[in-house]
Amino acid sequence: MAASAMDEVDLVLRTMAKTIVDNAVYFAELDSVVGDGDFGYSLRNGFEVVVSDYDTFDRSSAGAVLKKVGFVLSGKVGGVSGPIWGTAFLRASQAAGDKTDLTSADVIAILRAAVTGIMHRGGASLGEKTLLDALVPAIDTLEAGLARPEAAQDHGVAALQEAADVAVRAAEDTKPMLALRGRAAYTGERSIGSVDAGATAIGVILQSISAAWREKFHQRETGT
Amino acid sequence: MKKFVNDPRQFVPEMLEGIQLASDGRLKYEPKYNLIYRADMPKANKVSIIQGSGSGHEPAHTMIVGKGMLDAACPGDVFAGPPVEFVYETTKLLNSPMGVLHLVNNYTGDRLAFEQGREMCEADGIKVETLLVNDDVAVKDSTWTVGRRGVAGNFFVIKAVGAASEKGASLEELVRIGNEVIANVRTLGIALSSCTPPVKGTPLFEIADDEMEVGIGIHGEPGRQRTKLVSATEIVDIMLNAVVPDLPFKSGDEVALMINGLGGTTIGELYLLYGIAHKKLEAQGIKVFRSYVNEYCTSLEMAGASLTLLKVNEEIKGLLNEPAEVSIRVF
Repeated sequence: MAASAMDEVDLVLRTMAKTIVDNAVYFAELDSVVGDGDFGYSLRNGFEVVVSDYDTFDRSSAGAVLKKVGFVLSGKVGGVSGPIWGTAFLRASQAAGDKTDLTSADVIAILRAAVTGIMHRGGASLGEKTLLDALVPAIDTLEAGLARPEAAQDHGVAALQEAADVAVRAAEDTKPMLALRGRAAYTGERSIGSVDAGATAIGVILQSISAAWREKFHQRETGT
Repeated sequence: MKKFVNDPRQFVPEMLEGIQLASDGRLKYEPKYNLIYRADMPKANKVSIIQGSGSGHEPAHTMIVGKGMLDAACPGDVFAGPPVEFVYETTKLLNSPMGVLHLVNNYTGDRLAFEQGREMCEADGIKVETLLVNDDVAVKDSTWTVGRRGVAGNFFVIKAVGAASEKGASLEELVRIGNEVIANVRTLGIALSSCTPPVKGTPLFEIADDEMEVGIGIHGEPGRQRTKLVSATEIVDIMLNAVVPDLPFKSGDEVALMINGLGGTTIGELYLLYGIAHKKLEAQGIKVFRSYVNEYCTSLEMAGASLTLLKVNEEIKGLLNEPAEVSIRVF
């Protein structure tokens, strides 16, 4: 993951958007256990536009395309997800700026900026049974993995897979947590025993991105 | 799922189109923002009153747009607050020199959209104030949660500020009146069955034939307690025992009493509940000033009811007694 050019930014965003659209029903079902079941469908309203209109987006820099995604989400996504995910992309956009090649350090800074935006907008912190509980440990793992010398050889393939696996486990670990944010919080102790839908979505999205990333660099190495 | 529906994802737009067409020209519809608004608004001499919320609570809020009530409603999808853009564009379109009042039921999504939307409007020089409605006693208000939910009591806030705004009240005056209502209104809901959002196609939760959910939210969020179904009188006791001590409502108080149907309960059952509640309140020395028995804020086809009490003073009584017009109801 030494220097990510714009086609790699495209790969990540397209994969993310498609994964969210494909999993809308699954995410909504997770949300209906203690929430109100709109999470997957709300996100889909925005990300399906990202899928269909991606080719028309301004992709002159990483910041430009992240900003466009943030605007689409703020315009189309209702519920809690619109402001949360929209703010995450807008903050990520500010951190990316006009760069077209992203170093490992840039990628981590962009992800950290998104996390700060989510915390600011939602007023949530770690351990409150939200998507942060999967996202933050995944970013920590990715940062540690990218710092290893092997990361330069395999383009971060192994580090990204580790991060995705950590996200899936961390999402599973939200099960015994008491929900303190969002509509799930209204159920109090009855929120215990089911996974957080947002955290689970992060795991699913990172697994898809990791698979697409491995595919891309595997193809490049084998020349297929 | 067994509903009158074409493409489930077009459920909300097709419903809104029906509302506009039924209004005989008194309402306008802007499909880009799920926006239903009074054709005669904005006006220079009246504050514009806007509500967002999700769809699926009809008649709240798109069907109670009219003179003396809301001036506009821009709901999100079924059970989802509106995107920020809906709030921003609706406020711009309804902007009045007197200002714009946002009525927000206290849910995280609605709050975030309206906070961000208000920031964007204020950057454009639009004068905006916000009222947060939080009448649901089922939620324990702690420092952790976003606080109590806004449910059927929202109607009284709309009615009071809607009436005052028709008489030319300033934005600041409406905020004072609205907060007076919010401080004195309390609700508890009980569900007997689940509900099915059209896009989801399956019930939001399962509930057995002999069970009820006490403290249900208006989005099918589970309440605080699942118990065996009991008699109507015992259900009214549960409701009053949660609502009355919460304010508390005391002997000598005058109240508006609302029995609100959640969508799938007959009007007959609602009046049955009303009668029991009315007698029990009077026995406690609490005088019913005015009754409200109907569907005001529903959760799709959920069977169930909520009980709302509003403690009234002379000012609020006057505002509740003012005429109001709901553009699509014709008698």
